[in-house]
Amino acid sequence: MGTHIPSIEDTKELLKKNQIGIIGVGETDQGKIPGKSSFHFLSEASKLAIEDAGIQKSDVDGIITAFSLVEETFMHCTTFADYMGINPKYFESVAIGGATAVWMTAAAAMAINSGQAEVVLCVRGDNTLSGISSTGMIALIREMCHGEFEFPFGLTTPGGYALMANRYLYETKGKREHLHSVAVTMRQHAKLKENAMMKDDLTLDDIMATRLLASPLTKYDCSIVSDGGAAFIVTTNAKAKELGLKRDLIYLHGMGQGFSHQYLTSCENLEQIYGAVEKSGKKAFETAGMTNDNVDITFLYDCFTITTLLELEGLGIVPRGQAGAYALEGRLHKDADTPINTHGGLLSQAHLGAMHHVVEAVLQLRGDAGARQVKNPSVALVHGNGGIVSAHSTILLGNEPVS
Amino acid sequence: MSEEKNEYLKPLPDFRPECKPFWEGTKAHKLMLPKCKETGKVFFYPRAISPFPGSLNMDFDWVESTGKGKVWTFSVHYMGPTRAYKGETYVVALVELDDGVKMMSNIVGCDPETVTIGMEVEVVFEDATDEVTFAKFKPVQ
Repeated sequence: MGTHIPSIEDTKELLKKNQIGIIGVGETDQGKIPGKSSFHFLSEASKLAIEDAGIQKSDVDGIITAFSLVEETFMHCTTFADYMGINPKYFESVAIGGATAVWMTAAAAMAINSGQAEVVLCVRGDNTLSGISSTGMIALIREMCHGEFEFPFGLTTPGGYALMANRYLYETKGKREHLHSVAVTMRQHAKLKENAMMKDDLTLDDIMATRLLASPLTKYDCSIVSDGGAAFIVTTNAKAKELGLKRDLIYLHGMGQGFSHQYLTSCENLEQIYGAVEKSGKKAFETAGMTNDNVDITFLYDCFTITTLLELEGLGIVPRGQAGAYALEGRLHKDADTPINTHGGLLSQAHLGAMHHVVEAVLQLRGDAGARQVKNPSVALVHGNGGIVSAHSTILLGNEPVS
Repeated sequence: MSEEKNEYLKPLPDFRPECKPFWEGTKAHKLMLPKCKETGKVFFYPRAISPFPGSLNMDFDWVESTGKGKVWTFSVHYMGPTRAYKGETYVVALVELDDGVKMMSNIVGCDPETVTIGMEVEVVFEDATDEVTFAKFKPVQ
């Protein structure tokens, strides 16, 4: 009595017992789409995911949303439940920046594991490109850093990542091409993604010839700003069967978080960042009983080119200091040995946090990725990063049940 | 009404009351750092509770920094966050002070393109408004 200390083993047991996974996904058009509100995109993405799952709106009994950068709401999840006409048993807003979408999956699983809900709609949408005012954009830049001790020095959002990129290049004796090559690969992938925003040819030479925004980063090293929505539905295998759904779930095998800092001023060294990425991956791997060797396709948070390199090294996919050369060799391409972000990522498809990373992982594991399909992947790693490489979340998804 | 200074149009700090001694310091052209009375260590940014592991101390001394340090990392900004920066090229840096803390600031008094990681710098004070003086850094000659 009272001697049990909860651990990852319990999560492992629950994931095995409950067989939780993603049953439906939905993505709206992405890009510059004026005339639609944030809640319009949330509804449209939800509709698409509900239809893709083959369920009814009334089957949804849990709602997890994020936040809007345009339409500020005090209680985002319930505001959307009201708008959508859903009366959920479980509701939550996850607000950890770019780590949000990945963690929505984990939060849905935790809600399901504790009996709070059975069919959880996870959705994010925003009219960030069309709807944000210039003062709103400045507020957002300020929000990304310390309003008292960083922003007054003129730090921009690309600038924050540039500080880390310059330190990374210094420590690894790297070169600008190492960063830019990530953008080139993402562009190659985006060309194959129907709703990707940036499909023009992009070469390393193009990027090297472009002016710097914040050294060593150009505009091509920065994620795009877009309008659009994406959603996915998390449920259990048993519930899917009860609802008569034919499709197999894409199962959640493991999840983990890792925290480094919120403000760059508090970041002692690159190792602190690597450590946080590693922690999120390690917990996910331990829960799943897997290692990097099990992963067939990887989704990394590519809000800026530098984050992708730090994550490759933090997750142990590439040894410390070698991710730049690895990217430059083209090894992140869908046809190479470490396919990353086959949908074009935040750098070339669209920016909705890691929502599209999760959706694309599901499409790949289902074999539904069309021209982007990698050969028979069975396990995907999806990583999200909030703040300036601050907060990390990792999940492992697989098309086989948890065993 | 006489305007002694040009109007300052760039972003000013969002003040938290607990950081007042820092800004009083810069106004007097002194770089003051909070020092945790429990651990005896200085930290930055100022806050109401000690950030050190295990410490819940809320009582601090304010000590004057040497004002000397090295550039830990930097980025030359060719585009600023607001219109007030239009046409300006400036350096944002994380400076590692000899006191052992990092501080974000600008590197001034030199060509932005000459700043390097590891460069030795020292504090200079820039009066922005009657209320606000910034601690910035210039290369040690």
